[in-house]
Amino acid sequence: MSKTYTSIGKAEKKIDALALATGSRRFVDDFELKDCLHCKLIYSPHAFADIIKIDESPALAMDGVVDVLSYKNTPQILHTSAGQGFPEPSPYDQYLFDKVVRFAGDRVAMVVAESPAIAETAAKKVKIAYKLRKALFDPERAMDADAPKLHGKECYTPIGAAYDPQRNLAAEVDLGFGDLKEGEEAADIVIDETYKAHYGSHCAIEPHSVKTYFDDEGRLVILASTQVPFHVRRIVARVCEFPLAKIRVIKPRIGGGFGGKQEVLLEPLAALVSIRHKRPARLVLSREEVFRNSRTRHPVRVRLRSGVKKDGTITFLEMDSLLNSGAYGSHALTVLSNCGSKVLPLLNKIENMHFLGRSVYTNLPVGGAYRGYGATQGYFALNQHLDILCRRLDIDLPEYIKKHHIREGETSKIFEALGEGKTGVQQFVNSCKLDECIDICTREIGWYGKRDKKIRSGDKVRGVGLAVAMQGSGIPLVDMAAASMKMNEDGSFNLDIGATDIGTGSDTVLAQIAAEVLNVDLDAMIVLSSDTDRTPFDVGAYASSTTYISGRAVRKCAEKILEQIIGVAAEMLETSSDKLKLSHAGVKDPASGKRIGYPEICQYAMYSANQFQIQAVASEFVEESPPPFIAQAVEVEVDTVTGAVQVLKLVSAVDCGQAINPKLAEGQIEGAAVNGISYAMTEEYIFSGNGRMINSSFKNYKIPTAADLPEMKTVVVPSHEPSGPFGAKSVGEIGINCPMPAIANAIYDAVGVRLYEAPFTPEKVYRAIRKQQEVQ
Amino acid sequence: MLDGYLPAKLSEALDMMAECDCIPFAGGTDLMVQHARGSGVRPCFDKTLLFVSALKELKTFDLMGKTLRIGAAVTLSELLENAATPQIFKEILRQMAAAPTRHMATLAGNICNASPAGDTLPYLYAMDAEVILQSRNETRVLPVADFITAPKRTQRKNDELLTGIRIPAAEFNVESYRKLGQRKGMSLTKASFLGLASTANGRIEDIRIALGSVAPHIVRSRKIESKLTGKNIKDIPGILQELQKDYSALIRPIDDARSTAAYRKQVSLRLIRDFLINCMLKKIP
Repeated sequence: MSKTYTSIGKAEKKIDALALATGSRRFVDDFELKDCLHCKLIYSPHAFADIIKIDESPALAMDGVVDVLSYKNTPQILHTSAGQGFPEPSPYDQYLFDKVVRFAGDRVAMVVAESPAIAETAAKKVKIAYKLRKALFDPERAMDADAPKLHGKECYTPIGAAYDPQRNLAAEVDLGFGDLKEGEEAADIVIDETYKAHYGSHCAIEPHSVKTYFDDEGRLVILASTQVPFHVRRIVARVCEFPLAKIRVIKPRIGGGFGGKQEVLLEPLAALVSIRHKRPARLVLSREEVFRNSRTRHPVRVRLRSGVKKDGTITFLEMDSLLNSGAYGSHALTVLSNCGSKVLPLLNKIENMHFLGRSVYTNLPVGGAYRGYGATQGYFALNQHLDILCRRLDIDLPEYIKKHHIREGETSKIFEALGEGKTGVQQFVNSCKLDECIDICTREIGWYGKRDKKIRSGDKVRGVGLAVAMQGSGIPLVDMAAASMKMNEDGSFNLDIGATDIGTGSDTVLAQIAAEVLNVDLDAMIVLSSDTDRTPFDVGAYASSTTYISGRAVRKCAEKILEQIIGVAAEMLETSSDKLKLSHAGVKDPASGKRIGYPEICQYAMYSANQFQIQAVASEFVEESPPPFIAQAVEVEVDTVTGAVQVLKLVSAVDCGQAINPKLAEGQIEGAAVNGISYAMTEEYIFSGNGRMINSSFKNYKIPTAADLPEMKTVVVPSHEPSGPFGAKSVGEIGINCPMPAIANAIYDAVGVRLYEAPFTPEKVYRAIRKQQEVQ
Repeated sequence: MLDGYLPAKLSEALDMMAECDCIPFAGGTDLMVQHARGSGVRPCFDKTLLFVSALKELKTFDLMGKTLRIGAAVTLSELLENAATPQIFKEILRQMAAAPTRHMATLAGNICNASPAGDTLPYLYAMDAEVILQSRNETRVLPVADFITAPKRTQRKNDELLTGIRIPAAEFNVESYRKLGQRKGMSLTKASFLGLASTANGRIEDIRIALGSVAPHIVRSRKIESKLTGKNIKDIPGILQELQKDYSALIRPIDDARSTAAYRKQVSLRLIRDFLINCMLKKIP
């Protein structure tokens, strides 16, 4: 790190921190709208049924009930709720309201009333008659000839991907290279195991929320808690049959998304209410509704079959992933793809490899985007598989991974073969500090000294586990981001970005990039983000893309501004641009020793001669997606009497390139690690026999409290990605990938039981320990 | 309707109880959740609320001889702060809910809620605690174990207010409390175990075992306990199987969103074993 930066690498405070802490900046539901209508959705109690009749009259007869929406009075346009690039890689299989309900929690109708209390009461009065159909709950049976079919022939994928609703097949990926048979013949042992990643909820503290109204120019304003404001505008325009030019989407402050708000679920409904009644509308979900009716992590069953030589060389690897998409195919293809494409390239020396992935429909809650996006599910399998392999061959796991993982200058055939919904892009890894990450983990957790030692105190036994992962930085050849900047006469800059800060700190990080280019303090940046009227386009906050892609756009834009500033300065100083140097918030002529500050430069450009506005627009579209790398190690203590597992310590060491803001990068990693621990230890959808989630509240669906969390050590390893803005790669998702497999590996290390399915509840661990004792 | 009354004196409260059908409301930490309606909508009560948490007469906390007397409006946090509260009881209280809830919630409320998962109940059963019920014309005292008749059901009459709890003193030299929850704090109990014993010279003088959340009521059996009283600790292993069988007949848990019946039962029996063997054997001189 020879280069010294003024803003990059500094733990600047989030630019919205004080305003958030004092409550002056607002979340969607903080905006008070006059004469607002309140909406309440009505959901199906049945997993699969035809709606025979909806009788709205008892609700409409109530004082204060304004409207009831259902399939009868809303546009019937097939679409996907997935907020992705257009045309979306997800199948078009949803209507705003349908005549068929496909999971317990599918929406049936929506009551519109003068107050939330009236809406709640009226929602119970709408009479709905159903004709039940036989439901499908087991994804393994989904493609059977006699399985109930969820969707009809009218559904389709706009990108022409593999899709067959007649077989409940929402997506399919089938690719490979080399020769599996040859690989199998060369193997000394074959390891064939199946791992299951389960349902999970994003648990963003702010629930899905939207408010809509017409402004004084008659344009429809949508205040949305969303990760994808521009996709919201596009999808609302299409499914509400309302001109895109008349829609303005504003994203205020957001209380977390984690993928759950990369979904356009509520915005069209509130928009329709405003359109129908010319009044503001509010639709805010309760926690129960978020659990049951929004989106989840896709459960994936991953079977890994590999052949290994005695020295550890993998002669072939076969991954068979079955993704349970639930009732609709939101993100069904792309999460499935990432289960392979973000996981398999890690072991790029394997010559014979095959990936078969299928996403199937079931009458259960709908999957969607969720931090990790398929990689989490894939790495749960791969990291346990490597632990099993190393134990079978008596090889040290960390040393094994260091020997076999992809390195700088190397590529993987998977990069090219598998993208997101289409073929991928060939790319070489230009930065990889995974060895350093692994060494930090083994040192900090005390690997050599604890591994295999089964340190016991009373009925409690300790163990250690390790896992590694890579992710990506945006979707190459798909994602685009743009920035627009202009200069003001006090030397401040408006930075308008489509990028969507959902609590991640991207407003701050992107401002730091611009401040670095222009050599100014961070507070010279006035950031406006995610307003479809005021800011240029950006795909939104997903796919770990913002720092890398939006960051590159901001850097490019700031460089254009800088060029103009220097041009004006040259005119003022009567010299040529190439002779000038930047000094803090100003420009210096080293020859004459003269310095002029940014305010003077801007004032000159505005008022003095050859007047023009110093301004620029830039956008970026990338051809590569440099992977960040992570190693995470845990120490656990297993109570053999109760089966309770306590994670004692978790170490994360990450290569995210140059951390633009190390504090925020650490925050992302720690947040993701807690998210991962929670998913591994307690989070679980529990269903009744008829497919209804029975623990849809924080009372029974637990995420950890501070008391449950382990000691956390987080290390950002120095690294530099040549293609990234100031060397940066992504960091938002990767930290969720390893806690679950690392904990599974550590539980095995402690008590010798292998848990192929999480969460690692006391019930499950207890049962596994007892079963093992019975076998012995 | 959200009608509520804030009586200034206990006598006023008892008049209210006599004259109208109302819900005594102390901390409200159960009532507010039970009456929640939906997002952005206030809880709705079908009866008048009688707010009792400010009644001075119910904020008392004292020792009468060796009996601890706790007023019905004393919060869990106040119990935790009081030096007279036994250590084992404090350990139970510390694992209940979270600090903000404990600042509001009362012991009396936990009793009246009459949940088999009520965290204070195993202790109150084990200690033979009693409740004081007052109406305008009568005061009666009942053991907690008799007061609670079934899940969510008590012997409190409509005009009665639970005004206090009495916990008779007892000294123990073996104490063990284990709460199994989905996490460490703010977690409802999957199963809980309380074992209290006093031993002298390797003999059991007094032993009490209570389990929560593993049957429709708190499990405590004096009959089984009497098999242990007077025994030498070293003889426990010889009768352990019989004791576990006895308890097994009483432990009748259910499957729910928090755990499974099978786990609750097996782990309860293991915790009994752990207490009788591991905790008690340490006391052999």
